[in-house]
Formats: sequence, structure tokens, C-alpha cells
Amino acid sequence: MAKKINLGIIGLGFIGKVHLRNCLSLKSANVVAVADVSKKALKYARELGVKRLFTDYHELLKQPDVDAVVISLPTYLHAPCAIGAAEEGKHIFLEKPLARNPEEGKKIISATRKHNVKLMIGYPLRYLIDIINLKKRIEDGELGDIQTAYAVNIGVGPFTHRAEGTIPSPVPEWWMNKESTGGGALLDLGSHMVNLLRWYLGEIRDIKVFIGYRYNLDVEDYAISIVNFISGTTATIDVGWFSQETAISIELHGTVGHASVVHRSQNRVITAIKLILGKTSKFFKPYLEELSHFVDCIKRDDDPLTSGDDALRDLEIIARAYNNSLILTNQNDYSPISS
Amino acid sequence: MVDLLSLVGLIECKDRNVNSVKEAVKEALKLIDYSFPKTKRIVIKPNMCYYWDYSTGQTTDPNFVAALIEMFREEISPDVEISIVESDASAMKCKYAFKYLGYEKLAKKYRVNLVNLSEAESETAQVKVKDEVFEFLIPKVIKNADLRVNVPKMKYMAFTKISCALKNIFGCNPYPKKFKYHPKLDEVIVALNKVMPFDLHFLDGLIVCGSKTLKLGLIMASQDPVAMDAAAATIMSVNPKSVGHIMLARKEGLGNLSFKIKGADLNYFKAKYPKKGLSEKIVAFGYRVVCALGLDKRLI
Repeated sequence: MAKKINLGIIGLGFIGKVHLRNCLSLKSANVVAVADVSKKALKYARELGVKRLFTDYHELLKQPDVDAVVISLPTYLHAPCAIGAAEEGKHIFLEKPLARNPEEGKKIISATRKHNVKLMIGYPLRYLIDIINLKKRIEDGELGDIQTAYAVNIGVGPFTHRAEGTIPSPVPEWWMNKESTGGGALLDLGSHMVNLLRWYLGEIRDIKVFIGYRYNLDVEDYAISIVNFISGTTATIDVGWFSQETAISIELHGTVGHASVVHRSQNRVITAIKLILGKTSKFFKPYLEELSHFVDCIKRDDDPLTSGDDALRDLEIIARAYNNSLILTNQNDYSPISS
Repeated sequence: MVDLLSLVGLIECKDRNVNSVKEAVKEALKLIDYSFPKTKRIVIKPNMCYYWDYSTGQTTDPNFVAALIEMFREEISPDVEISIVESDASAMKCKYAFKYLGYEKLAKKYRVNLVNLSEAESETAQVKVKDEVFEFLIPKVIKNADLRVNVPKMKYMAFTKISCALKNIFGCNPYPKKFKYHPKLDEVIVALNKVMPFDLHFLDGLIVCGSKTLKLGLIMASQDPVAMDAAAATIMSVNPKSVGHIMLARKEGLGNLSFKIKGADLNYFKAKYPKKGLSEKIVAFGYRVVCALGLDKRLI
């Protein structure tokens, strides 16, 4: 029987818990340890059967039997934790965005190269079957030349609700601080869509973005980008943290035909039942697929589809977009000042 | 127990423009024969349950509060001191809610105080409800106010059936980890209303969230929180007698269950309100069961 990969999960926030549940269901991996500053989060992991629990991730990185780590920490901790993991010889699955800025991203990639460990970035949409099928249709020329494309990723952002429902959950403090996040909706959700469109349409020549502040946050809570690809396609990327309902979609218009993919939340009741049973909801299925791919890459010594270099390119494009941004403020009648 | 009739004024207001709301609120106060008292300090308690703004129907519209501020300054005195108050909750922090929901802008424009009750000066007070003594911290800003104004939303709630005037005062308790009160929610809601009675209640029903979000265009005014809640429950097709905290508040002498509607037709709003269907009631029941079994932690 082939050796199972021993995983350590670092960070048990909202998405970290999704990763933990998914990792526990992988047949080719064991979850041997978790790390989180919250004792409540560690208790959650213990109830799911994880034995080794750490409040300091450095302790987890020192565990000799841990082959790889899944890092879902606040963005400002991506670089120190990933570099630390590389130095300890652990393969790394790192939540997107790669880092707060390209400079930090380059340091992570350099460390993984130096220590010869794999680096995969969490871009779950790339592992969604409908998204993969659409890639094949593009490559087969079914749609002709893609002239225009529309990518949308709008939802709650950090204002996560339990079970995609309506019971409010606390928002971790780090989300409220630009220094910790590196950016707002454009970095958080735009990184998904930039990555996906680059996969479909090739490299980006130019990007301009309008960024807005409906909720008066320190970072933008919505952004609309206009993107010009070297292939000649023009696309818009519409991202936001302002809606209670999640909408993720891709729409492509080619010289031969049109195609679209919509990824939406499943029924709340079904989602809640699955979560209570410790299963993955349909919405989070691609998150399971990506971790399965990560473990397979380690076992087969393959390069991950969503690599660090790929994510660095996304980060560079988003950094360029921020530099080319037009800021929209007080543009709606939301403010009480408008009477 | 014989109820007297409390007056509840209903006005339809189709937009959220500050002037429109102000005129509608003044009209609603005329309907309930309200005369403005001599006042130096006013406290306004909106409903800020989370970081969702007015457009979701879950939190009080800052324009509504702006309309009240303008009205009090016109009708009482331009120099009246006004404080907008809210407290931290398990999932919400005032320092962010004030900013994200537009209240910082409001406070700056109207030069009013924005007070996080969880950080404000408070003193201990005891109150008896149903032969049980409860102890709370009472913020001085509320205790020392001459006029206390409550601006709730109307919502369905899993544990209290509805949330309106009485439930909104739950947010005047400075203690942030409010889930600790859930086992005795009805008693605690009534105790807080008893120890911090509010004088005037305005329901912001401009946008409501029932089974869906809807522009209802309703403004309700009353001096009686029990009557307001009974009227709101009726609009939501919930029998007020089935709501524990309404009945307990009535028993404790906080108001009358019977109300007399003046102004617009209550049935018009009742017909329009997005009521819960059977499936939503089953989901709410299921959620209560999940919580009772301690399985709600898995929903995160």
C-alpha cells in the first residue's frame, strides 16, 4: 500500500475549517496536526479526531512526520509561514492570494525553489468540473475566437455567514485592516478571476479598474476591471463583498458561439445537513478536488496546476490594476449626507 | 388582565429621503397625540445587528435617524444633545458597524455623539422579572437621558419569533457576549426594558426582511413598546399572544397588548409584508433543534 501523505493544517478560520474537513476525507492523506491561535478552533479539530494541536504554527512545522502543510492564515502571515514551511522541507498548499504584494510573493517562491518543495495556491474554481469543461471547449475552438468575456465573483466577502445562511458570524479583526490584507475585494476575489481568465485566454496586456467603497471600509468592497488580453479578447471582471448572496460566473462570447458557467451556493438546508454530518457541501466540492490534486502532485512528484509562479503573475496584474485604479467614492445615495 | 388601548400611528413613506421620512415621522407623532417634552439630552437606539446596511432590511436606515435628529432639533431645540447608541455583540463590533453602516458619516454631519455602550461608563442595577432578580450594567448615557428613542426594525427571529421594539433594547446591554442570555431571552428582554424604559418608539419599516427583503414603506410610531410589537407581529402574521417576551412585558406592566391604529391601514401592510411560508418555519424549527442539540458549532 502506497504511503499516505501526512498533512498539517495551519489556520482554522472559515476556509481553514473547510480544508480540515476536506483533508480528513482524503483517502491518500492523514491529518496529523493542526495549528491555530484559537483554542476554540483547536477544540473543533480535536472533536474531528486530530490528535496533535498547536497554538503556534512554528511547533507544527518542526514535526518531522509532517510531509506537507495547508496554510489558511491571514494574508500578512502567508510569507513568514510559507517561507518557514519551505525551510523545514514541507510541501505547501497556500490559500490565495499568494501574498499581500508581488515582493512578498517572490520571496515565497524563492524559498520553495531553494528548499525544493512544492507550492500550490488555492484557486478552487480551476478544479470545478464545469470550468474545466469550458477550457476544453475553448481549446477545441468550439466558440471560435473569444472576443469578449465577463467574469463575476460577488458575495459576502469576509462577512461570512454560517452555513451560507443568515446567522451572523464574527469577522476576524485582520480583515478590517489594509495592512493585514494587502487589498480588498479586488485582491481577495479578483485573484480568482484573473487566474481563471488567464488560464482561458492567455496573458494580459493591460488592465484598468474602478474601485468603490459602499461600506466605508479601509479597502475597496467592490471593483470592476476592464482587461485587455494579448489574444485580443476584452474582458470585464466584476468583484464585490457587498451581497448576501454569492454569484460566481464566467461568460464567454466567441466568433462562433457563446458559453457560460455559473457556480452558486447550494440550498441552505442541504448545506447545513452536510456540514452537520461532517461532509463537504456542493459549493465547496472544488476545494476538495484541489486538495486531492495537491496530494497527488506530492505522491507523483508532479507540478501543481495552480502554481506559485502562476499566482505571482496574478498578483503582479492586480498590483498593476491598483496602480491604474479610478476610485469611486460617495457615488451612490447610500450616505446619510444625501437627503 | 384588562388592557387599555395604546395608540399606534402608521404612515406610508415610499422613499428614504431624509425630508420625506421627517415629514412622515412628524405626521405619525400627530396621530398618537404626542407633544415634545422639554429635553436636554436625547438617546437614539437604532438596530445594528451586523454589518449589513439598510438596503437589506436588517439594520436601521441612517437616513431615518437623520430625519429624527432634524425633527428633534426643529421641535425641541437646535442645541439638544443627541447620542446614538449601540453595543458590541457576539458577532458585531460597534467600531466597525458605525463606520460600515454609515453612522460615522451621520454623526459627523449632524454633530451628534456616537456611543459604543460596551465601552461607555455604566453602573450596576438590579431588576426583578417573574420573581427572578437580574443584574445589568446600565450605561450612564441612557440613564441620564431625558428622552429615550427606540428605532427598531421588524424581523423574524429563531428564538423570539419576532424582533421589534422590545427586542431592540436587548442591544442596550453593554455586555458583548449576548448569547449567554439565550436560555432566558424573554426574561432578559423584558428586564432590560424595565430597567431602561424608552419613551418613544419608531419602527423603521421602510425596507423589511421577512421571507425576503421588500420595500414596505412603513413608519410606525408609539409610546408603548408592547403595543408596537403587537401591531408589528400582526403585520407579520404572528399572533402577539404567542410571543413570549410580548406577553411577559405586558404582564410586567410595560405596555398594553391592545392597540388602536391611527393613520394608514394595518391590513394594507399585513397583505404586503413578506411573510414566512411553511418551509421557512420548518427551517427555523430545525435550526432551533440543531442549536438545542449543540450541533450548531458544526455549521461554521
